[in-house]
Amino acid sequence: MVTAAALLVAACGGSQQEGGDTSAASPSASASTISPSDMTDQQQPPNRLTIDVTIQGGNVTPTNAALQGKVGEPIVLRVNSDVADELHVHSVPDHTFPVEAKPNQQFQFTVEVPGNVEIELHDMNRVVASVQVRQ
Amino acid sequence: MTSEPTLDVLAHGLGGSTDLPIPYTYALLGAAWALTATFAVVALAWRKPRFDENRPGRPLPLWVTSAVDAPVTRWIVAIVALLLTAWIAMAAFFGPQNADNPLPGVFYVLIWVGLVAVSWAIGPVWRAISPARTLYRLLRLDRRGSRPPYPARLGYWPAAFGLFAFVWLELASPDPGSVGAIRTWLLVYLVVTFAGAVWFGQRWFARADPFEVYGVVASRLSALRRNRDTGRIVIGNPFDHLPTLPVRPGTVAVLSVLLGSTAFDSFSAMPVWRNFVDDAAGSAVTATLLKTAGLAVFALVVAGTFTAAARATGGVDRQRRRELPGLLAHSLIPIVIGYVFAHYLSYLIERGQQTVILLADPLQRGWNLFGLGDTEVSYLLSMHPSVLATLKVAFVVAGHMAGVVAAHDRALKLLPSAHQITGQLAMMLVMVGYTFTGLYLLFGG
Repeated sequence: MVTAAALLVAACGGSQQEGGDTSAASPSASASTISPSDMTDQQQPPNRLTIDVTIQGGNVTPTNAALQGKVGEPIVLRVNSDVADELHVHSVPDHTFPVEAKPNQQFQFTVEVPGNVEIELHDMNRVVASVQVRQ
Repeated sequence: MTSEPTLDVLAHGLGGSTDLPIPYTYALLGAAWALTATFAVVALAWRKPRFDENRPGRPLPLWVTSAVDAPVTRWIVAIVALLLTAWIAMAAFFGPQNADNPLPGVFYVLIWVGLVAVSWAIGPVWRAISPARTLYRLLRLDRRGSRPPYPARLGYWPAAFGLFAFVWLELASPDPGSVGAIRTWLLVYLVVTFAGAVWFGQRWFARADPFEVYGVVASRLSALRRNRDTGRIVIGNPFDHLPTLPVRPGTVAVLSVLLGSTAFDSFSAMPVWRNFVDDAAGSAVTATLLKTAGLAVFALVVAGTFTAAARATGGVDRQRRRELPGLLAHSLIPIVIGYVFAHYLSYLIERGQQTVILLADPLQRGWNLFGLGDTEVSYLLSMHPSVLATLKVAFVVAGHMAGVVAAHDRALKLLPSAHQITGQLAMMLVMVGYTFTGLYLLFGG
Protein backbone atom coordinates (compact mmCIF):
# COMPACT_ATOMS: atom_id res chain seq x y z
CA MET A 1 0.00 0.00 0.00
CA VAL A 2 2.64 2.46 1.04
CA THR A 3 4.86 1.44 -1.81
CA ALA A 4 2.02 1.84 -4.23
CA ALA A 5 1.41 5.38 -3.04
CA ALA A 6 5.09 6.17 -3.25
CA LEU A 7 5.20 4.80 -6.76
CA LEU A 8 2.20 6.88 -7.73
CA VAL A 9 3.81 10.01 -6.39
CA ALA A 10 6.99 9.20 -8.16
CA ALA A 11 5.13 8.54 -11.36
CA CYS A 12 3.33 11.81 -11.03
CA GLY A 13 6.51 13.69 -10.39
CA GLY A 14 8.13 12.05 -13.34
CA SER A 15 5.51 12.51 -15.96
CA GLN A 16 4.37 16.00 -15.00
CA GLN A 17 7.67 17.37 -14.04
CA GLU A 18 7.29 20.66 -15.76
CA GLY A 19 3.72 21.50 -14.80
CA GLY A 20 4.11 20.30 -11.22
CA ASP A 21 7.31 22.18 -10.56
CA THR A 22 6.23 25.48 -11.92
CA SER A 23 2.83 25.57 -10.29
CA ALA A 24 4.54 24.95 -6.98
CA ALA A 25 7.04 27.70 -7.61
CA SER A 26 4.60 30.29 -8.81
CA PRO A 27 0.85 30.19 -8.40
CA SER A 28 0.15 32.64 -11.20
CA ALA A 29 -1.81 31.67 -14.27
CA SER A 30 1.20 32.11 -16.48
CA ALA A 31 3.24 29.59 -14.54
CA SER A 32 3.08 26.76 -17.01
CA THR A 33 4.97 28.69 -19.64
CA ILE A 34 7.98 29.50 -17.48
CA SER A 35 10.46 26.73 -17.55
CA PRO A 36 11.64 25.35 -14.23
CA SER A 37 15.25 26.11 -14.94
CA ASP A 38 14.49 29.80 -14.88
CA MET A 39 12.75 29.59 -11.55
CA THR A 40 15.30 27.61 -9.61
CA ASP A 41 18.72 28.14 -11.07
CA GLN A 42 20.13 31.15 -9.32
CA GLN A 43 23.51 30.70 -10.91
CA GLN A 44 22.09 31.82 -14.20
CA PRO A 45 22.47 35.60 -14.25
CA PRO A 46 20.31 36.68 -17.22
CA ASN A 47 16.64 36.11 -16.44
CA ARG A 48 14.65 34.89 -19.36
CA LEU A 49 11.04 34.34 -20.12
CA THR A 50 10.53 31.06 -21.92
CA ILE A 51 7.29 30.38 -23.72
CA ASP A 52 6.56 26.85 -24.88
CA VAL A 53 4.36 26.89 -27.93
CA THR A 54 2.78 23.75 -29.32
CA ILE A 55 1.02 23.67 -32.64
CA GLN A 56 -0.65 20.35 -33.29
CA GLY A 57 -3.56 19.37 -35.47
CA GLY A 58 -4.65 22.94 -36.04
CA ASN A 59 -4.57 23.80 -32.34
CA VAL A 60 -2.22 26.17 -30.60
CA THR A 61 -1.31 26.13 -26.93
CA PRO A 62 -1.21 28.47 -25.25
CA THR A 63 -3.50 31.13 -26.71
CA ASN A 64 -4.05 34.60 -25.29
CA ALA A 65 -1.72 33.88 -22.38
CA ALA A 66 -1.00 36.90 -20.21
CA LEU A 67 2.69 37.02 -19.25
CA GLN A 68 5.17 39.44 -17.73
CA GLY A 69 8.59 40.34 -19.08
CA LYS A 70 11.31 42.90 -18.63
CA VAL A 71 12.97 45.35 -20.97
CA GLY A 72 16.28 44.02 -22.26
CA GLU A 73 15.73 40.52 -20.96
CA PRO A 74 15.59 37.74 -23.52
CA ILE A 75 12.26 36.17 -24.34
CA VAL A 76 12.60 32.66 -25.72
CA LEU A 77 9.98 30.94 -27.82
CA ARG A 78 10.30 27.14 -27.87
CA VAL A 79 8.11 25.83 -30.62
CA ASN A 80 6.91 22.33 -31.42
CA SER A 81 4.90 22.41 -34.57
CA ASP A 82 3.43 20.06 -37.12
CA VAL A 83 2.84 22.81 -39.64
CA ALA A 84 4.75 25.73 -41.11
CA ASP A 85 3.64 29.16 -39.96
CA GLU A 86 5.10 32.50 -39.01
CA LEU A 87 5.44 34.01 -35.56
CA HIS A 88 5.02 37.76 -35.42
CA VAL A 89 6.22 39.62 -32.38
CA HIS A 90 4.59 43.03 -32.15
CA SER A 91 7.20 44.92 -30.22
CA VAL A 92 9.62 47.76 -30.73
CA PRO A 93 11.44 46.65 -32.83
CA ASP A 94 9.16 44.10 -34.51
CA HIS A 95 10.31 40.52 -35.03
CA THR A 96 9.19 37.81 -37.43
CA PHE A 97 10.21 34.17 -37.07
CA PRO A 98 9.54 31.40 -39.59
CA VAL A 99 8.08 28.31 -37.94
CA GLU A 100 8.74 24.98 -39.60
CA ALA A 101 6.89 21.73 -39.20
CA LYS A 102 9.28 20.20 -36.69
CA PRO A 103 9.82 19.97 -32.95
CA ASN A 104 12.26 21.89 -30.76
CA GLN A 105 12.63 25.13 -32.63
CA GLN A 106 13.85 28.02 -30.58
CA PHE A 107 13.60 31.75 -31.24
CA GLN A 108 14.89 34.48 -29.02
CA PHE A 109 14.37 38.22 -28.94
CA THR A 110 14.54 41.14 -26.58
CA VAL A 111 12.23 44.11 -26.30
CA GLU A 112 13.74 47.55 -25.93
CA VAL A 113 10.70 49.74 -25.33
CA PRO A 114 8.19 48.97 -22.55
CA GLY A 115 4.76 47.97 -23.76
CA ASN A 116 2.27 45.20 -24.24
CA VAL A 117 3.89 42.85 -26.74
CA GLU A 118 1.66 40.47 -28.64
CA ILE A 119 3.05 37.26 -30.07
CA GLU A 120 0.93 36.06 -32.90
CA LEU A 121 0.83 33.03 -35.14
CA HIS A 122 0.21 34.66 -38.44
CA ASP A 123 -1.35 32.00 -40.66
CA MET A 124 -3.42 30.46 -37.89
CA ASN A 125 -4.49 33.93 -36.87
CA ARG A 126 -4.09 33.24 -33.16
CA VAL A 127 -2.53 35.33 -30.42
CA VAL A 128 -0.19 33.05 -28.51
CA ALA A 129 0.57 35.43 -25.68
CA SER A 130 0.58 39.06 -24.64
CA VAL A 131 3.70 39.91 -22.69
CA GLN A 132 3.62 43.01 -20.55
CA VAL A 133 7.19 44.18 -20.84
CA ARG A 134 8.16 46.61 -18.11
CA GLN A 135 11.32 48.32 -17.06
CA MET B 1 8.84 38.22 -49.13
CA THR B 2 5.85 37.78 -51.33
CA SER B 3 3.62 40.66 -52.19
CA GLU B 4 0.98 39.35 -49.82
CA PRO B 5 0.28 41.75 -46.99
CA THR B 6 1.98 40.56 -43.85
CA LEU B 7 0.47 42.91 -41.33
CA ASP B 8 -1.74 41.47 -38.67
CA VAL B 9 -5.03 41.94 -37.00
CA LEU B 10 -3.40 43.58 -34.03
CA ALA B 11 -2.67 47.03 -32.82
CA HIS B 12 -5.03 48.81 -35.18
CA GLY B 13 -3.33 47.38 -38.18
CA LEU B 14 0.02 48.77 -37.18
CA GLY B 15 3.00 46.84 -35.93
CA GLY B 16 4.71 47.45 -32.62
CA SER B 17 3.56 47.06 -29.06
CA THR B 18 0.48 48.52 -27.45
CA ASP B 19 0.38 50.53 -24.24
CA LEU B 20 0.83 48.79 -20.94
CA PRO B 21 -2.30 48.74 -18.81
CA ILE B 22 -2.48 51.53 -16.26
CA PRO B 23 -1.67 50.45 -12.68
CA TYR B 24 -4.57 49.59 -10.43
CA THR B 25 -3.96 52.48 -8.04
CA TYR B 26 -4.06 54.97 -10.92
CA ALA B 27 -7.41 53.63 -12.04
CA LEU B 28 -8.77 53.81 -8.50
CA LEU B 29 -7.50 57.35 -7.96
CA GLY B 30 -8.98 58.46 -11.27
CA ALA B 31 -12.30 56.88 -10.43
CA ALA B 32 -12.36 58.54 -7.01
CA TRP B 33 -11.65 61.94 -8.53
CA ALA B 34 -14.32 61.49 -11.18
CA LEU B 35 -16.92 60.50 -8.61
CA THR B 36 -16.05 63.31 -6.23
CA ALA B 37 -16.12 65.90 -8.99
CA THR B 38 -19.48 64.68 -10.20
CA PHE B 39 -21.12 64.95 -6.81
CA ALA B 40 -19.50 68.31 -6.21
CA VAL B 41 -20.97 69.60 -9.46
CA VAL B 42 -24.45 68.23 -8.83
CA ALA B 43 -24.66 69.27 -5.19
CA LEU B 44 -22.63 72.44 -4.90
CA ALA B 45 -22.16 74.07 -8.28
CA TRP B 46 -23.88 77.10 -9.75
CA ARG B 47 -27.67 77.23 -10.10
CA LYS B 48 -27.90 79.65 -13.03
CA PRO B 49 -26.59 78.71 -16.47
CA ARG B 50 -23.15 80.18 -17.03
CA PHE B 51 -22.24 79.17 -20.54
CA ASP B 52 -23.73 80.83 -23.54
CA GLU B 53 -23.02 79.96 -27.15
CA ASN B 54 -23.89 83.52 -28.17
CA ARG B 55 -21.17 85.10 -26.08
CA PRO B 56 -18.95 87.04 -28.48
CA GLY B 57 -15.57 85.93 -27.16
CA ARG B 58 -12.34 87.92 -27.26
CA PRO B 59 -11.60 88.82 -30.88
CA LEU B 60 -8.17 88.08 -32.29
CA PRO B 61 -6.55 90.83 -34.41
CA LEU B 62 -8.40 91.34 -37.66
CA TRP B 63 -5.47 90.23 -39.79
CA VAL B 64 -5.76 86.70 -38.36
CA THR B 65 -9.26 86.30 -39.74
CA SER B 66 -8.28 87.96 -43.02
CA ALA B 67 -5.27 85.71 -43.43
CA VAL B 68 -7.21 82.55 -42.60
CA ASP B 69 -10.07 83.43 -44.90
CA ALA B 70 -8.01 84.76 -47.79
CA PRO B 71 -8.67 82.75 -50.95
CA VAL B 72 -4.94 82.47 -51.55
CA THR B 73 -4.44 80.81 -48.13
CA ARG B 74 -7.32 78.46 -48.78
CA TRP B 75 -6.01 77.48 -52.19
CA ILE B 76 -2.46 76.95 -50.96
CA VAL B 77 -3.63 74.74 -48.09
CA ALA B 78 -6.00 72.81 -50.34
CA ILE B 79 -3.45 72.24 -53.10
CA VAL B 80 -0.73 71.20 -50.64
CA ALA B 81 -3.19 68.73 -49.12
CA LEU B 82 -4.12 67.45 -52.56
CA LEU B 83 -0.45 66.92 -53.45
CA LEU B 84 0.07 65.11 -50.16
CA THR B 85 -2.92 62.92 -51.01
CA ALA B 86 -1.34 62.10 -54.36
CA TRP B 87 1.91 61.27 -52.57
CA ILE B 88 0.10 58.93 -50.20
CA ALA B 89 -1.84 57.39 -53.07
CA MET B 90 1.45 56.69 -54.82
CA ALA B 91 2.66 54.87 -51.71
CA ALA B 92 -0.64 53.02 -51.46
CA PHE B 93 -0.55 51.75 -55.02
CA PHE B 94 3.13 51.39 -55.78
CA GLY B 95 4.80 51.21 -52.38
CA PRO B 96 5.69 48.01 -50.54
CA GLN B 97 2.55 46.12 -49.60
CA ASN B 98 3.70 45.39 -46.07
CA ALA B 99 4.52 47.05 -42.76
CA ASP B 100 6.85 49.50 -44.49
CA ASN B 101 3.97 51.14 -46.29
CA PRO B 102 3.03 54.47 -44.73
CA LEU B 103 -0.67 54.09 -45.61
CA PRO B 104 -1.87 52.33 -42.42
CA GLY B 105 -0.10 54.94 -40.30
CA VAL B 106 -1.55 57.81 -42.33
CA PHE B 107 -5.00 56.28 -42.10
CA TYR B 108 -5.17 55.09 -38.50
CA VAL B 109 -2.91 57.62 -36.85
CA LEU B 110 -2.48 60.86 -38.79
CA ILE B 111 -6.07 61.10 -40.02
CA TRP B 112 -8.00 59.36 -37.28
CA VAL B 113 -6.18 60.73 -34.23
CA GLY B 114 -4.20 63.62 -35.67
CA LEU B 115 -7.34 65.19 -37.08
CA VAL B 116 -8.89 65.25 -33.60
CA ALA B 117 -5.82 66.89 -32.09
CA VAL B 118 -5.60 69.53 -34.81
CA SER B 119 -9.34 70.23 -34.85
CA TRP B 120 -9.31 70.62 -31.10
CA ALA B 121 -6.34 72.98 -31.28
CA ILE B 122 -7.30 75.24 -34.17
CA GLY B 123 -10.72 74.29 -35.50
CA PRO B 124 -12.36 72.12 -38.14
CA VAL B 125 -9.55 71.85 -40.67
CA TRP B 126 -10.83 68.91 -42.69
CA ARG B 127 -13.07 71.25 -44.62
CA ALA B 128 -9.98 73.12 -45.78
CA ILE B 129 -7.85 70.09 -46.65
CA SER B 130 -10.40 67.52 -47.80
CA PRO B 131 -9.25 66.24 -51.19
CA ALA B 132 -12.84 65.64 -52.28
CA ARG B 133 -13.72 69.25 -51.55
CA THR B 134 -10.66 70.50 -53.39
CA LEU B 135 -11.52 68.43 -56.45
CA TYR B 136 -15.04 69.74 -56.29
CA ARG B 137 -13.75 73.30 -56.27
CA LEU B 138 -11.15 72.69 -58.96
CA LEU B 139 -13.79 71.24 -61.26
CA ARG B 140 -16.06 74.20 -60.42
CA LEU B 141 -18.96 71.88 -59.77
CA ASP B 142 -20.66 74.41 -57.50
CA ARG B 143 -21.68 76.30 -60.63
CA ARG B 144 -24.17 73.65 -61.53
CA GLY B 145 -27.67 74.99 -61.20
CA SER B 146 -30.57 73.05 -59.83
CA ARG B 147 -29.81 70.39 -57.26
CA PRO B 148 -32.07 68.35 -55.04
CA PRO B 149 -31.91 69.71 -51.48
CA TYR B 150 -30.08 67.58 -48.95
CA PRO B 151 -32.82 65.73 -47.02
CA ALA B 152 -32.90 67.33 -43.57
CA ARG B 153 -33.94 64.15 -41.82
CA LEU B 154 -30.76 62.42 -42.96
CA GLY B 155 -28.83 64.84 -40.76
CA TYR B 156 -25.49 63.38 -39.73
CA TRP B 157 -26.57 59.79 -40.32
CA PRO B 158 -24.37 59.31 -43.41
CA ALA B 159 -21.37 60.49 -41.39
CA ALA B 160 -22.31 58.18 -38.52
CA PHE B 161 -22.33 55.28 -40.98
CA GLY B 162 -19.02 56.42 -42.41
CA LEU B 163 -17.49 56.55 -38.96
CA PHE B 164 -18.84 53.12 -38.20
CA ALA B 165 -17.33 51.88 -41.45
CA PHE B 166 -14.00 53.29 -40.33
CA VAL B 167 -14.00 51.69 -36.89
CA TRP B 168 -15.29 48.48 -38.45
CA LEU B 169 -12.23 48.32 -40.68
CA GLU B 170 -9.98 49.09 -37.75
CA LEU B 171 -11.50 46.84 -35.09
CA ALA B 172 -13.67 44.18 -36.70
CA SER B 173 -12.50 43.46 -40.23
CA PRO B 174 -10.32 40.39 -40.85
CA ASP B 175 -7.13 42.24 -41.74
CA PRO B 176 -7.15 45.91 -40.74
CA GLY B 177 -3.48 46.37 -41.56
CA SER B 178 -3.76 45.24 -45.14
CA VAL B 179 -2.75 48.04 -47.47
CA GLY B 180 -5.23 46.73 -50.03
CA ALA B 181 -8.14 46.87 -47.60
CA ILE B 182 -7.35 50.43 -46.54
CA ARG B 183 -6.92 51.48 -50.17
CA THR B 184 -10.32 50.04 -51.04
CA TRP B 185 -11.92 51.73 -48.05
CA LEU B 186 -10.44 55.08 -49.04
CA LEU B 187 -11.48 54.72 -52.68
CA VAL B 188 -15.05 53.95 -51.65
CA TYR B 189 -14.93 56.89 -49.27
CA LEU B 190 -13.73 59.23 -52.01
CA VAL B 191 -16.32 58.02 -54.49
CA VAL B 192 -19.20 58.27 -52.01
CA THR B 193 -18.12 61.68 -50.75
CA PHE B 194 -17.57 63.08 -54.21
CA ALA B 195 -20.62 61.56 -55.88
CA GLY B 196 -22.87 62.71 -53.04
CA ALA B 197 -21.55 66.23 -53.43
CA VAL B 198 -22.10 66.17 -57.17
CA TRP B 199 -25.69 65.20 -56.46
CA PHE B 200 -26.53 67.29 -53.39
CA GLY B 201 -23.91 70.05 -53.50
CA GLN B 202 -21.46 71.09 -50.79
CA ARG B 203 -23.84 70.32 -47.96
CA TRP B 204 -23.11 66.65 -48.55
CA PHE B 205 -19.50 67.22 -47.44
CA ALA B 206 -20.64 68.88 -44.24
CA ARG B 207 -23.14 66.16 -43.34
CA ALA B 208 -21.78 62.95 -44.79
CA ASP B 209 -17.99 63.11 -44.77
CA PRO B 210 -17.08 61.17 -41.60
CA PHE B 211 -13.77 62.97 -41.16
CA GLU B 212 -15.31 66.39 -41.58
CA VAL B 213 -18.02 65.65 -39.05
CA TYR B 214 -15.51 64.12 -36.62
CA GLY B 215 -13.39 67.26 -36.98
CA VAL B 216 -16.37 69.52 -36.36
CA VAL B 217 -17.23 67.54 -33.24
CA ALA B 218 -13.67 67.82 -31.89
CA SER B 219 -13.40 71.49 -32.80
CA ARG B 220 -16.29 72.36 -30.47
CA LEU B 221 -13.95 71.91 -27.53
CA SER B 222 -11.51 74.42 -28.98
CA ALA B 223 -10.82 77.78 -27.41
CA LEU B 224 -10.75 79.26 -30.90
CA ARG B 225 -14.03 79.83 -32.65
CA ARG B 226 -15.84 82.31 -34.85
CA ASN B 227 -18.11 85.07 -33.72
CA ARG B 228 -21.49 83.92 -34.91
CA ASP B 229 -22.49 87.34 -36.21
CA THR B 230 -19.31 88.73 -37.70
CA GLY B 231 -17.47 85.51 -38.60
CA ARG B 232 -14.37 86.92 -36.95
CA ILE B 233 -12.03 84.47 -35.22
CA VAL B 234 -12.21 84.87 -31.46
CA ILE B 235 -10.75 83.14 -28.45
CA GLY B 236 -12.97 82.23 -25.55
CA ASN B 237 -14.19 79.68 -23.07
CA PRO B 238 -14.53 76.24 -24.73
CA PHE B 239 -17.64 75.68 -22.62
CA ASP B 240 -19.31 78.49 -24.55
CA HIS B 241 -18.22 76.80 -27.75
CA LEU B 242 -19.46 73.28 -26.94
CA PRO B 243 -23.20 74.00 -27.25
CA THR B 244 -22.70 75.22 -30.82
CA LEU B 245 -22.52 71.58 -31.91
CA PRO B 246 -25.26 71.35 -34.54
CA VAL B 247 -28.14 69.24 -33.29
CA ARG B 248 -29.38 67.17 -36.20
CA PRO B 249 -30.65 63.67 -36.68
CA GLY B 250 -27.65 61.43 -36.09
CA THR B 251 -25.68 63.74 -33.79
CA VAL B 252 -26.01 61.33 -30.87
CA ALA B 253 -25.19 58.44 -33.21
CA VAL B 254 -21.92 60.07 -34.27
CA LEU B 255 -20.81 60.54 -30.67
CA SER B 256 -21.93 57.05 -29.70
CA VAL B 257 -19.92 55.45 -32.48
CA LEU B 258 -16.84 57.42 -31.43
CA LEU B 259 -17.11 56.61 -27.72
CA GLY B 260 -18.34 53.05 -28.14
CA SER B 261 -15.64 52.11 -30.64
CA THR B 262 -12.85 53.48 -28.46
CA ALA B 263 -14.14 51.40 -25.57
CA PHE B 264 -14.48 48.35 -27.80
CA ASP B 265 -10.89 48.83 -28.89
CA SER B 266 -9.70 48.21 -25.30
CA PHE B 267 -12.27 45.55 -24.66
CA SER B 268 -11.37 43.53 -27.72
CA ALA B 269 -7.77 43.21 -26.50
CA MET B 270 -8.89 41.49 -23.29
CA PRO B 271 -8.15 37.74 -23.14
CA VAL B 272 -11.76 37.01 -22.16
CA TRP B 273 -13.09 38.43 -25.39
CA ARG B 274 -10.32 36.97 -27.52
CA ASN B 275 -10.81 33.50 -26.09
CA PHE B 276 -14.52 33.83 -26.68
CA VAL B 277 -14.01 34.82 -30.32
CA ASP B 278 -11.41 32.08 -30.83
CA ASP B 279 -13.68 29.43 -29.35
CA ALA B 280 -16.95 30.54 -30.86
CA ALA B 281 -15.78 31.42 -34.34
CA GLY B 282 -14.93 28.55 -36.63
CA SER B 283 -13.79 30.74 -39.51
CA ALA B 284 -12.54 34.21 -40.23
CA VAL B 285 -16.01 35.19 -41.42
CA THR B 286 -17.72 34.26 -38.16
CA ALA B 287 -14.95 35.97 -36.21
CA THR B 288 -15.57 39.14 -38.20
CA LEU B 289 -19.30 38.87 -37.65
CA LEU B 290 -18.79 38.44 -33.91
CA LYS B 291 -16.50 41.44 -33.73
CA THR B 292 -18.90 43.50 -35.81
CA ALA B 293 -21.69 42.60 -33.41
CA GLY B 294 -19.49 43.48 -30.44
CA LEU B 295 -18.61 46.84 -31.95
CA ALA B 296 -22.25 47.59 -32.73
CA VAL B 297 -23.32 46.59 -29.22
CA PHE B 298 -20.80 49.00 -27.69
CA ALA B 299 -22.03 51.89 -29.85
CA LEU B 300 -25.66 50.98 -29.17
CA VAL B 301 -25.10 50.77 -25.42
CA VAL B 302 -23.61 54.27 -25.43
CA ALA B 303 -26.46 55.59 -27.57
CA GLY B 304 -29.10 53.85 -25.47
CA THR B 305 -27.78 54.83 -22.07
CA PHE B 306 -27.13 58.41 -23.12
CA THR B 307 -30.54 58.85 -24.71
CA ALA B 308 -32.33 57.29 -21.76
CA ALA B 309 -30.39 59.37 -19.25
CA ALA B 310 -31.00 62.60 -21.15
CA ARG B 311 -34.72 61.90 -21.21
CA ALA B 312 -34.97 60.84 -17.58
CA THR B 313 -36.38 63.97 -16.09
CA GLY B 314 -39.75 65.19 -14.90
CA GLY B 315 -41.63 68.31 -15.84
CA VAL B 316 -41.13 68.37 -19.60
CA ASP B 317 -43.59 67.56 -22.35
CA ARG B 318 -43.14 64.74 -24.80
CA GLN B 319 -41.74 66.94 -27.56
CA ARG B 320 -39.09 68.42 -25.27
CA ARG B 321 -38.16 65.02 -23.93
CA ARG B 322 -37.49 63.81 -27.43
CA GLU B 323 -35.23 66.79 -28.10
CA LEU B 324 -33.20 66.48 -24.90
CA PRO B 325 -30.59 63.88 -26.06
CA GLY B 326 -29.62 66.06 -29.01
CA LEU B 327 -29.53 69.21 -26.92
CA LEU B 328 -27.22 67.53 -24.40
CA ALA B 329 -25.09 65.66 -26.94
CA HIS B 330 -22.32 68.25 -26.85
CA SER B 331 -21.54 67.26 -23.26
CA LEU B 332 -20.23 63.96 -24.61
CA ILE B 333 -17.57 65.71 -26.68
CA PRO B 334 -15.05 66.20 -23.84
CA ILE B 335 -15.58 62.60 -22.73
CA VAL B 336 -14.96 61.36 -26.26
CA ILE B 337 -11.85 63.49 -26.71
CA GLY B 338 -10.45 62.67 -23.28
CA TYR B 339 -10.97 59.01 -23.98
CA VAL B 340 -9.49 59.17 -27.48
CA PHE B 341 -6.35 60.82 -26.18
CA ALA B 342 -6.08 58.41 -23.29
CA HIS B 343 -6.11 55.57 -25.79
CA TYR B 344 -4.19 56.95 -28.70
CA LEU B 345 -1.77 59.56 -27.33
CA SER B 346 1.25 57.28 -27.60
CA TYR B 347 0.02 56.17 -31.00
CA LEU B 348 -0.29 59.70 -32.22
CA ILE B 349 3.15 60.70 -31.01
CA GLU B 350 5.17 57.56 -31.67
CA ARG B 351 3.42 55.98 -34.65
CA GLY B 352 2.92 59.46 -36.01
CA GLN B 353 6.69 59.96 -36.13
CA GLN B 354 7.14 56.54 -37.66
CA THR B 355 4.57 57.32 -40.34
CA VAL B 356 6.17 60.62 -41.25
CA ILE B 357 9.54 58.88 -41.56
CA LEU B 358 7.99 56.22 -43.82
CA LEU B 359 6.40 58.95 -45.92
CA ALA B 360 9.84 60.33 -46.72
CA ASP B 361 10.53 57.16 -48.72
CA PRO B 362 7.14 55.88 -49.81
CA LEU B 363 8.37 53.45 -52.43
CA GLN B 364 11.34 52.14 -50.43
CA ARG B 365 13.81 53.32 -52.99
CA GLY B 366 16.14 55.08 -50.62
CA TRP B 367 14.57 58.50 -51.09
CA ASN B 368 15.22 60.74 -48.18
CA LEU B 369 12.83 63.66 -48.31
CA PHE B 370 13.82 66.56 -46.07
CA GLY B 371 16.37 64.27 -44.40
CA LEU B 372 13.52 62.56 -42.58
CA GLY B 373 14.92 59.13 -43.36
CA ASP B 374 17.84 59.75 -41.02
CA THR B 375 15.68 60.54 -38.02
CA GLU B 376 14.60 57.96 -35.52
CA VAL B 377 11.37 57.59 -33.62
CA SER B 378 11.61 58.89 -30.07
CA TYR B 379 9.80 56.56 -27.69
CA LEU B 380 9.89 59.05 -24.87
CA LEU B 381 6.32 58.38 -23.74
CA SER B 382 6.56 54.60 -23.82
CA MET B 383 9.89 54.72 -22.03
CA HIS B 384 8.15 56.42 -19.12
CA PRO B 385 5.10 54.23 -18.50
CA SER B 386 4.14 55.98 -15.27
CA VAL B 387 4.07 59.37 -17.00
CA LEU B 388 1.98 57.87 -19.78
CA ALA B 389 -0.39 56.23 -17.30
CA THR B 390 -0.75 59.51 -15.41
CA LEU B 391 -1.55 61.34 -18.64
CA LYS B 392 -4.12 58.72 -19.60
CA VAL B 393 -5.95 58.94 -16.30
CA ALA B 394 -5.72 62.73 -16.40
CA PHE B 395 -7.29 62.81 -19.88
CA VAL B 396 -10.13 60.51 -18.89
CA VAL B 397 -10.87 62.35 -15.65
CA ALA B 398 -10.54 65.82 -17.19
CA GLY B 399 -12.83 64.79 -20.04
CA HIS B 400 -15.31 63.42 -17.55
CA MET B 401 -15.27 66.57 -15.43
CA ALA B 402 -15.73 68.79 -18.46
CA GLY B 403 -18.58 66.60 -19.68
CA VAL B 404 -20.31 66.75 -16.31
CA VAL B 405 -19.87 70.52 -16.09
CA ALA B 406 -21.26 71.01 -19.60
CA ALA B 407 -24.21 68.70 -18.96
CA HIS B 408 -24.99 70.36 -15.62
CA ASP B 409 -24.95 73.81 -17.13
CA ARG B 410 -27.16 72.83 -20.02
CA ALA B 411 -29.57 71.05 -17.70
CA LEU B 412 -30.04 74.31 -15.78
CA LYS B 413 -31.06 75.94 -19.03
CA LEU B 414 -33.23 73.16 -20.42
CA LEU B 415 -34.97 71.67 -17.40
CA PRO B 416 -37.77 73.29 -15.42
CA SER B 417 -36.48 74.63 -12.12
CA ALA B 418 -38.23 72.04 -9.98
CA HIS B 419 -36.43 69.22 -11.78
CA GLN B 420 -32.98 70.65 -12.31
CA ILE B 421 -31.20 68.48 -9.76
CA THR B 422 -33.19 65.26 -10.08
CA GLY B 423 -33.39 65.67 -13.85
CA GLN B 424 -29.63 65.54 -14.31
CA LEU B 425 -28.95 62.71 -11.86
CA ALA B 426 -29.38 59.97 -14.43
CA MET B 427 -27.02 61.74 -16.82
CA MET B 428 -24.38 62.14 -14.12
CA LEU B 429 -24.64 58.47 -13.21
CA VAL B 430 -24.31 57.44 -16.85
CA MET B 431 -21.23 59.64 -17.27
CA VAL B 432 -19.70 58.13 -14.13
CA GLY B 433 -20.49 54.75 -15.68
CA TYR B 434 -18.67 55.68 -18.90
CA THR B 435 -15.65 56.89 -16.99
CA PHE B 436 -15.48 53.89 -14.67
CA THR B 437 -15.78 51.58 -17.66
CA GLY B 438 -13.10 53.56 -19.47
CA LEU B 439 -10.69 53.37 -16.54
CA TYR B 440 -11.46 49.69 -16.04
CA LEU B 441 -10.64 48.99 -19.67
CA LEU B 442 -7.44 51.04 -19.52
CA PHE B 443 -6.50 49.05 -16.42
CA GLY B 444 -7.02 45.95 -18.49
CA GLY B 445 -9.81 44.33 -16.52
